[in-house]
Amino acid sequence: MRSQRVANIADYLAPGGEGWAQVAGEDIRMMPTPLPMQPTEYIRRSWEGRPYGAVQSLRVASVHDGESWAIRVTWQGVSPAGTDFPDSLAVALPVSGKPVLMTMGGNGAPVQYLRWTAKKEKPQSIVATGIGSSRSGPKIKSSAQGEATGDTWSVVITRALGFGQELAPLVAGKKTQIGFAVWLGANDERAGIKAFSIDWAELALDA
Amino acid sequence: MSKRQVAMVMDLNKCLGCQTCTIACKTLWTKREGMSHMYWNTVNTQPGTGTPHGYESMGGGFKDGVPQRGHRPTVEEFGKAWDFNHDEVAFGGKPDAHLMADGGRAGKGPNWDEDIGGGEYPNSYYFYLPRICNHCTHPACLEACPRQAIEKREEDGIVLINHDKCRGHRFCQEACPYKKIYYNEVEEVSQKCIFCFPRIDEGVTTACSRQCPGRIRFVGYLDDQNGPIFKLVHKYKVALPLHSEYGTRPNVFYVPPLSPPKLDENGDATGESRIPVDYLISLFGPRVPEVLKKIEDERERVRNGETSELMDLLISRKWQDLFGPFTKHPRDAGREMGQASPVKFYKKGERP
Repeated sequence: MRSQRVANIADYLAPGGEGWAQVAGEDIRMMPTPLPMQPTEYIRRSWEGRPYGAVQSLRVASVHDGESWAIRVTWQGVSPAGTDFPDSLAVALPVSGKPVLMTMGGNGAPVQYLRWTAKKEKPQSIVATGIGSSRSGPKIKSSAQGEATGDTWSVVITRALGFGQELAPLVAGKKTQIGFAVWLGANDERAGIKAFSIDWAELALDA
Repeated sequence: MSKRQVAMVMDLNKCLGCQTCTIACKTLWTKREGMSHMYWNTVNTQPGTGTPHGYESMGGGFKDGVPQRGHRPTVEEFGKAWDFNHDEVAFGGKPDAHLMADGGRAGKGPNWDEDIGGGEYPNSYYFYLPRICNHCTHPACLEACPRQAIEKREEDGIVLINHDKCRGHRFCQEACPYKKIYYNEVEEVSQKCIFCFPRIDEGVTTACSRQCPGRIRFVGYLDDQNGPIFKLVHKYKVALPLHSEYGTRPNVFYVPPLSPPKLDENGDATGESRIPVDYLISLFGPRVPEVLKKIEDERERVRNGETSELMDLLISRKWQDLFGPFTKHPRDAGREMGQASPVKFYKKGERP
């Protein structure tokens, strides 16, 4: 996936921003997280035979302006109001080492997530070093906007370029990897009950 | 497995249903935002639906050691706190205004079926069942949590939710068969009875037990052979867990209630107790008849002028005997800790 250099990220903060029409997107295939990988027997048993992670693909496009990076993700699955759990999207980036996406990283191989949650203004910065290990991640200038049209979510998440101890590197002219997870709140999806992007996709930022 | 286990025994023969325990807990622990529907301590009338309503049919726990899928209780099922239009009635200047709960749209409160009970006159019956988190030896909540946010303290077996780790996924609510875990929508974490651990750590018993006017609550360590818990649970074997079939090995135990005899159509006493023993068995297991007989026998011994350590223990003439090693006054614990308390405690004669 290419992150195209643009003049000003401000034109891309909203999912419906005109600039996005000029940016080529690509599809990311999704699948439900495997049930045997759920971390507790209660979850494995209580979700046996229950469908989850039904989102099959995401449409993804990305830009940066040399200072900030933005990604727009579009998928089908909008929950009605009043559910116990919100619809949610997480964008994963490796911090260091060679983390396994499916296990949410591991010891010495952390993964940083920026997580958008419906009805929340700011994305959460999260770091994980394994399933069930997620904790608050480094503070970074970021934003998120979500728009639901019918059954389709369009969400833009932005963050400043750069890198740090637990801040996944996003540097103009460099490549990294990217992964995704999506939760459908109306189906009680939370924690490991979600759709995820199976493996990393390459993310190349224009110089 | 914890090194020791702190536990509670509640003598249902003495519970007045006064809710002082409920309010002691509410006042101390659940006054923050997002907690209005939380009663970590509840007292419900039995037979009845309990709190949350119908909790015994909501699943969770273990069957043959295997976790069972459970329902996640809603705020409505717990019974939300009602808002009343006191200002409108008292000061609104409308003579027709009358008191309404939630504008007349109120659902069931947390103690909806209080004092309804069961049976038909003259054999109607009920008793009160106070409940807190059971701080189980095999906690379904702890095992269900994907974030290991629930801990069982090694030193005393108190089960706590670590709010730094909890993300509000609420698998614990589903897994707990006693449905004693609440969700705080403001703080976005699950919350429950903490067995007043900050008090226990300082040698002060729980607020619910210390405030109980009926002296029904015994607190102590299960393995303390000189303490009330060991004596009631292991020595005299008159305290039983609630719904042990849920498989979590709860550490709150109950002395089941005796009741007067059932009357026949002529109004004469029968040999049958008014609270059906089968109903008590459905709550406290097959040992109920044996326990009731034991207590009746000990009562009879006392009536005949003999002494009974068990009856002395259950009567609790000395209030402090209820609390095992946790007899310290909260005032003294606070002073020892050098805490500046917003509450001023006065000793006798000290009050200005």
